[in-house]
Amino acid sequence: MHCNRFLPRPMSRREMLAKCANGFGAVALASLVGEAAYGAVPATQRPNDPTTRLNPLAPSTPHFKPRAKSVIFLFMDGGPSQVDTFDPKPRLAAENGQPIKAKVQPTQFDNIGNVLKSPWEFRQYGQSGIPVSDLFPNVAQCVDDLAIIRSMVAEHSEHTNANYFIHSGHGMQGKPSMGAWATYGLGSECQDLPGFVVLNSGLIPPGGQDCFTNGFLPASYQGSMFRNGEYPIADLKRSEATPEVQQAKLDLMRRLDRDTLARTAGDDKVESAIANYELAFRMQAAVPDLMDMRGESEATKKLYGLDQKQTEIFGNQCLVARKLVERGVRFIELLCPKVGGDRWDQHGDLKSGHENNAVAVDKPIAGLLKDLKSRGLLDSTLVIWAGEFGRTPMAQGTNGRDHNPYGFTIWMAGGGVKGGTIYGATDDYGYYAVENKVNIHDLHATMLHLLGMDHKRLTYRFSGRDMRLTDVYGEIVTGIVA
Amino acid sequence: MRKSRRQIRDIAISSATGIAAAIMSFACLPALAQSQAIPAQQIEFFEKKVRPLLNDNCFKCHSAARKPVMGGLCLDTRAALLKGGDRGPSLLPGHPEKSLLITAIGYRDPKMQMPPRGRLKDDQIGVLTEWIRMGAPWPAGRPQATAGQPAKATFDLQARRAAHWAWRPVRRSPVPSVKNRAWPHNAIDYFLLAKLEADGLQPGQPADKLTLLRRVNYDLIGLPPTPSEIDAFLKDGSPDAYRKVVDRLLASPHYGERWARHWLDLVRYAETDGHEFDFDKPGVFRYRDYVIRAFNDDVPYNQFVKEQVAGDLLPYPRLHPTEKFNESVIGTGFWWLGEGKHSPVDITQDQRDTIDNQMDVFGKAFLGLTIGCAKCHDHKFDAISAKDYYALTGYLKSSRYNLANIDSPSHNRPIITELEKVGDQLAAMHSGPYPGKPRIIPGSAEVFEDFKKPGFEGWSVTGDAFGPGPRATAIAVKEKDGKAVIQRLATSDAADSGWCSYNLQGSLRSRTFTIDKPYVLFHLAGSGGAKVNLIIDGFQRIRYPIYGGLEIAPKDDSQMKWQAMEVSKWIGHEAYVEFLDLGPGRITCDLIAFSSSKEPHTEPFIGCVVLTSRFDGTSALASLLQKSNELKAKLVEPTRVLGLADGTGENDRVHLRGSHNTLGDEVPRRFLEACAGTNQPLVSGAGSGRLELAERMTSPSDTLLGRVLVNRLWQHHFGEGIVRSVDDFGVMGQPPTHPELLDWLASEFVRQGGSIKQMHRLMVMSSAYQMSSRANSVADRADPANKLLHRMPVRRLEAEAIRDAILAVSGRLDRTLFGPSVMPYLTQFMEGRGKPETSGPLDGAGRRSIYVGVRRNFLVPMFLAFDYPVPATCMGRRSVSNVPAQALTLMNNPFVIQQAEVWAKRINADKSRTAVQQIEDVYLTAFGRPPAPKETAAALRFLESQRKQYAGDELKPWADLSHVLFNVKEFIFVN
Repeated sequence: MHCNRFLPRPMSRREMLAKCANGFGAVALASLVGEAAYGAVPATQRPNDPTTRLNPLAPSTPHFKPRAKSVIFLFMDGGPSQVDTFDPKPRLAAENGQPIKAKVQPTQFDNIGNVLKSPWEFRQYGQSGIPVSDLFPNVAQCVDDLAIIRSMVAEHSEHTNANYFIHSGHGMQGKPSMGAWATYGLGSECQDLPGFVVLNSGLIPPGGQDCFTNGFLPASYQGSMFRNGEYPIADLKRSEATPEVQQAKLDLMRRLDRDTLARTAGDDKVESAIANYELAFRMQAAVPDLMDMRGESEATKKLYGLDQKQTEIFGNQCLVARKLVERGVRFIELLCPKVGGDRWDQHGDLKSGHENNAVAVDKPIAGLLKDLKSRGLLDSTLVIWAGEFGRTPMAQGTNGRDHNPYGFTIWMAGGGVKGGTIYGATDDYGYYAVENKVNIHDLHATMLHLLGMDHKRLTYRFSGRDMRLTDVYGEIVTGIVA
Repeated sequence: MRKSRRQIRDIAISSATGIAAAIMSFACLPALAQSQAIPAQQIEFFEKKVRPLLNDNCFKCHSAARKPVMGGLCLDTRAALLKGGDRGPSLLPGHPEKSLLITAIGYRDPKMQMPPRGRLKDDQIGVLTEWIRMGAPWPAGRPQATAGQPAKATFDLQARRAAHWAWRPVRRSPVPSVKNRAWPHNAIDYFLLAKLEADGLQPGQPADKLTLLRRVNYDLIGLPPTPSEIDAFLKDGSPDAYRKVVDRLLASPHYGERWARHWLDLVRYAETDGHEFDFDKPGVFRYRDYVIRAFNDDVPYNQFVKEQVAGDLLPYPRLHPTEKFNESVIGTGFWWLGEGKHSPVDITQDQRDTIDNQMDVFGKAFLGLTIGCAKCHDHKFDAISAKDYYALTGYLKSSRYNLANIDSPSHNRPIITELEKVGDQLAAMHSGPYPGKPRIIPGSAEVFEDFKKPGFEGWSVTGDAFGPGPRATAIAVKEKDGKAVIQRLATSDAADSGWCSYNLQGSLRSRTFTIDKPYVLFHLAGSGGAKVNLIIDGFQRIRYPIYGGLEIAPKDDSQMKWQAMEVSKWIGHEAYVEFLDLGPGRITCDLIAFSSSKEPHTEPFIGCVVLTSRFDGTSALASLLQKSNELKAKLVEPTRVLGLADGTGENDRVHLRGSHNTLGDEVPRRFLEACAGTNQPLVSGAGSGRLELAERMTSPSDTLLGRVLVNRLWQHHFGEGIVRSVDDFGVMGQPPTHPELLDWLASEFVRQGGSIKQMHRLMVMSSAYQMSSRANSVADRADPANKLLHRMPVRRLEAEAIRDAILAVSGRLDRTLFGPSVMPYLTQFMEGRGKPETSGPLDGAGRRSIYVGVRRNFLVPMFLAFDYPVPATCMGRRSVSNVPAQALTLMNNPFVIQQAEVWAKRINADKSRTAVQQIEDVYLTAFGRPPAPKETAAALRFLESQRKQYAGDELKPWADLSHVLFNVKEFIFVN
């Protein structure tokens, strides 16, 4: 429950150190004085309370047995159209060009056109026979691994608010992103990379970096955005011309740091800051290694579409995502690739725009799913494909679609997900979700559940409240859980 | 029981139509009594069809067993259904079409759709419809545990108020007695020592002189001491050497820069709107400068608070001491520093989001209260009701976004008076016919304003552009082909921002009204970007795509024309008209009407009168024109700041569960009952009443304002607040570790007239502040969290202080105060919509960090790495985390490397000094202390070995040494 009575602070790091007689070297990293350091419930009541961990990224035991260890969130920024991808609606073809016979909600561009049929055909795939449009012929091959939720609803018609909402469960800037929550709750299995990595393929969603913020959580849980290339994050590359020069500087620094530590009688904050440099050095080696694809077979590269220009960018990021999963990184988010046009936000020219976006991601995503599966990783990796909202079944103008948060489609696959499932439904137009509605808080609750966490118990005390990713909402979508 | 207006209306309709039976069963029949008369087939229908349906789809959220019951609505007894929930009765027996239950399950109201997860099947809806038509028979038996409303946890504001320390009056206890009488320097020490002694502990040793100097420098001005300051302090053996340092630092203009930044954390300061395109907020840096000046000038805190809440309404605003501009009004910019939405689809929701953020920040920053928690329900723990919340939001609904002119009138006003005289003379020369004003044929449109009342009665005016009231005709004189073209645009009753000069700026805003017709018509002329806006639900960011039509910037100032705004989408919303002339333009309007059609029906009229006369250089006309032009050239463009202006006073209504779709009772505007009592006078006058709010907040009986502020000061000096949850003095926060000390400080603060500098003096002069940070093992074991303050804590510098220290040490620091922000350096890793086209310089032009632009969507990565807060809400206590980005920044960031080189050059510039002397300087500059001999030796060895790496290059080894010293932890920690 949120709004718990205040309880005494847990043991401080200093106390812990005093009690454990632990010294310098035993501690890799520490959050120094986050509010939770005095605000959380005692460790005795929450034995795995992340706020009491010495190392904020150390793996911690979930609330119950997890179905997935890592999450890959394929964020389809801009809002792909449900009726053109995974939610076929014959009525659109039947009434193409006619005024829509449903209550029309206000839209972002306020330019309501007539019913617009999907430019793509749907075919049935797999054992489940689930229909998928011709936009996703490759993902369609994996349809028996997907649980398709056709009854998503969101609360905002504007990108930025909707982006903040799908990431943080709140429509405004400043709340922790779900990747930060997952990492806060579980730590990371990988100690030389950040626990929450965002792979930037060239299109940053509206709302910017704050979609991946740690908000009020300690900065250790911030999403680290990686660009393509050998040095995907700022200041990673050694600034010295030669390793020798660097080594000499580091030697002097370490020596002077020891003196600093002595001068403060072994102050734990200073000690942690020193240890932090060690992690930074490890990252300097680990990240270029991560981005290096030379160890991958040609077949693998081909599977992800690295051999084709249209799929190269996102294919590369999908492959990096798999490598991050292998290294035990907790939460990986992929942003849309810049392949000429805009993201999935086709207010006009739906056909060319959606096609462009789909081609860029379809093969890489299918490659990722197949590769994870063949390596036995899919069972422990939750893959989520979602935009911040869907699109209107009527045209914006004549050939586009406007934003629609009232009913849209997302899918999940992998750890704990019941594959080959269709869950929920929209009306005949694909406009409003009418059956088994799932909101964003439910998505978050389900994600945390599959990670082995109770969304009601994953809390962080901030300004007088025990905050949750799901605020005061959220129900687990049991219908898609295997 | 709360009823929405619609339900009340529904009930009224049903009464009026005389459905006696329905009313009978609604009003009189108790549920059980009714069951005796139920026919058997109805019982069967209910038990077989209705009850299972309700049970499967509704009871999970709406039954007495569910706590809390959603929406206050139980559906598990007939009585409960008749009573209903927050929105009123759920059913009217016999009348499904008037029953809220059917509206909800039919998904007929997009704001109320039940069950929320999906619409029931049509036949299920049919069952419930049929059942209600039958009269909603509900047989006896199988009674629920409790009928009707479940007992709600009672909210007793007075009991909560009495139970929690923060609401109790500030009590000044006598200073306690202590055993160790030698240690205390002032009252603070007695309070601290008494507690230490009670636990059998002793305070720490005094810090050495240089540690203390570095500490107090960073604390008070955020910059390290210079070698000459260190030298002077070491040489000053007088007993008040330290006091002199404190006085010097408090008098330094850099003090204001340091402490203003702490304040900016509280008010989520940023210079852009964020959201999709990160638009600039106009002139926000002036708020930052205002805060710096306020700290430097030691403005009494009550005054500072009043200015932020109601600086626009103060009868005697505080003027800048030399430039005489209005300081007070700049404070109101605080309200607008939050995130701003681009083209929101739900405009009312946008207004609520804005107000909710304003309330959240207001509550935490000034009062240390989580008022925002009372948005959806009475506060779960604190003595704050939902009514308190909406009593406060009314002040904001009654206030408006304004770009206030802060200039002293002393310059422009006399010129305007002269111009007015010239204008009158011009008018007198051409007293010919006046144009007509359109006469609207009755019934075709409703006149909202014809500007016939003098002095803009009912409108609020800012700036000089519109003058003191509707004008006798504005005369425009233009030269054309050697002739003067003299134009008269409108009748004597017009609002005209060109009445005196196109160069004047200002605004004119109407009262708030409710839109009830699809068109708002303006009869107007204008040019140069002056415009009329329709501000709906307080929404200011009028932009494409949705809101472009709410702005008209007329392009023709030679002819009055009708122009229409189409507002059918916003019928039922509140709005006001805003004329804005913020540049070299003019807008003239003589009639505003609401209409059902785009074109009004008017009687014929003459729209403008043009006279010409021979333009003779020697004529009276020419000399008047010349005089006019000379005067106009002397006018100075006004300085405008973002702030508040009063609007039409209106109360807000309680929003049930925080939603603007479910409104409850209206609440008169007032301050929190727990603070100002239950008998607060109603707002007097037509405006917002914010000034009265500010007075109540700063009344002598206040228990929070002072405590919260002194606690913030304490935190910045001693590492943790006496109340560690500095933004939350409520029940969920932490109790004070030293309540008597907190109260003593709060009372002393009042005694000192709210002087913040006096409080600094008290704190940094205490023996406690002058203690060493080295742990004494006995005390450390007994008090590991240092709650008793047995030693000073070691603290890491904040992001800005680290960058400022790098600049100060390298010698690159530009100590210029104030002014527009420097554009941040934009790296290739900073991407996204709204990214400025050009980056700022890598070194931020050497300016202190407080002058680096705060772009909401492009915050400086180096700052973020060191826990710079996202400007979303009040952040009185930054987290201090430890992430690899910090190490990577200091090791590899080009700015840090660059500054190490700058520093190396400076060190090397003075060839007269030996390497040992240079190393001594370097240590003094970076760490505020001379090096130990072994450190000097290590540095010399390092320089020597690097020289070999660089084949004898003199500069590079020094740059390496400088860079290493930036990375030594001593650089970013203060002992």
